[in-house]
Formats: sequence, C-alpha cells, structure tokens
Amino acid sequence: MKTSINRPPTPDAEEDQDHQPTLQEIINIKMIESGEKERLKELLRERLIECGWRDEMKALCRAFARKKGRNNVTVDDLVQVITPKGRASVPDSVKAELLQRIRTFLTSVSI
Amino acid sequence: MSVPNEDKMASHAQLSSHFFGDLLDSIIVDVASECHRIARLGLDRNLEEEEEELKLSAQARERVADPNNSGEANSKYVVDIFGQTHPPIASDIFECMNCHRPIMAGRFAPHLEKCMGKGRKARLKGTRSSTAAQNRHSRGSPVSTYPPYPNSTSTNQLSNGTSGVAGEEYSNGTFPES
Repeated sequence: MKTSINRPPTPDAEEDQDHQPTLQEIINIKMIESGEKERLKELLRERLIECGWRDEMKALCRAFARKKGRNNVTVDDLVQVITPKGRASVPDSVKAELLQRIRTFLTSVSI
Repeated sequence: MSVPNEDKMASHAQLSSHFFGDLLDSIIVDVASECHRIARLGLDRNLEEEEEELKLSAQARERVADPNNSGEANSKYVVDIFGQTHPPIASDIFECMNCHRPIMAGRFAPHLEKCMGKGRKARLKGTRSSTAAQNRHSRGSPVSTYPPYPNSTSTNQLSNGTSGVAGEEYSNGTFPES
C-alpha cells in the first residue's frame, strides 16, 4: 500500500528518561496545557483565510494535482509544493500580530 | 539569574519565531491534507473533466464558426441536440382526409392544393359524391341559407337541387319534404 505521509520513527522510551527538556519544549508544553497554542493557531488560521492566503495555497495544490494527475498526489507532495511559497507569502501584519501574541505569552509565563 | 534585557528580547524573538513557524507549518499541513482529499475524491469540479469540456467546447465553437457548415442550406443532415438527424423532406406517409389516398407528409400541402380546389382540375371534378366539397365550390358565391327572393332562380344554381336550400323558402318551422 502506498504510504502518503512520512512519519519519523517513534522514539524509544528509554531515551526519553535521560532527556533534559529544552526551554523550547518547556514553553511548548505550557502553551499546549494552557490552551494558548490552540487559540493562537485558530487566530492564525482565521487571519490567513481573511487575507486570501489559503485560497492561494489551494490554487497551487489544484494546479499541481491537475499536472500530476489527481490520483497520483500525496500529502507530502502538496506540503512540499506549498511550504516555500506559503512561508514567504504570509502578510507582514498577520505575522506581526501573531508574534506579538506569542511574546506576550512568553512574558506572562515569565521566561 | 537575571538575564540582561537585550538577551531576553533576543531569545524571546527567537522563540516567538520558532513558535510562529510551528503554527504555520501546522496550518500548511492542514491545507495540504484538505487539498489532497479534494483531489482524490474528485470534489473539485473534476479537474480532468474540465479540460475535456474545454476541449469539446472549443471543438464545437470551431464547427459553428466554420463557413462550410452553414447548417440549413448545405448539409442535408443537420444533427439536433438529441443527436437525431431528420431528412429535409418529411417522409411520413398517411391518408389524405379528402381523397383518401396515401400521401407523403412533405408533399401534403401541394397535394391539398390540387385535391381541394385551388387548382383548375379540382373544380371540374363533378363526379365526386361529396356534397360538402360541391357546396363550397359553387361558382364563387357564398353559401347562403336564406335566399333574398323566394322565386329567384339565382339561388338555385345547384343542378341537383339540394333540398336544404329549397326547403328554406317555405320555412315556417317545418321542413317540407321533396
């Protein structure tokens, strides 16, 4: 069966016990546990829909699917197609707003 | 341990960027996954069919614009929207209600002209038994049921003396028998 998502191998349990959580990981856990990560993701999604970014990405996917044949497309293909353009085309205002929110969160958890 | 402010700002900025990138990647995967689903299920107006439709419509447009294909004048076999062709002259055969002959539908109108009396020959058909046809073909005068003068012979132009006309002269409610 053709796999369409590449998954990294599941880390063994033994390795985790010696592992010191990095600052990033700590903050990540705090973000998730407080629900802030979900809120930020929803905010970003909403802003990207409003500014048409999502439609642009969907158009790229459609064009790619037409070219490659719609039954030969994998999720990984589409991710590779969208990622460079997607990262570059986020409007500055959206990026600034999200960064501001994240920074506020970081201050609030007193890093 | 107190970190100097600038370092703090720098690490904040770095962390923020990192998390922003994280969120963005997550959303990118969502969009890719949805587009993958749409492509596989053919929900997006059938990408391939659209191309075929475009091709077919381009072909049809060429056919219409082509001057050799003026549908009515030249081609004897015009194809209608159901894909049927009709011969230019209607070829169904039925019976004429006047002369009871089998007539082709496409030739019915000219046949009627001859059969019902626009033509010269029809008027001379005295041997036909149909009285209705003869009433209509009396020499140009309109059919009148009430003659102006009871004894006037002008109303009685019919050689076989139809009793209907003559009977009106004595009409007082009864119809005299001849």
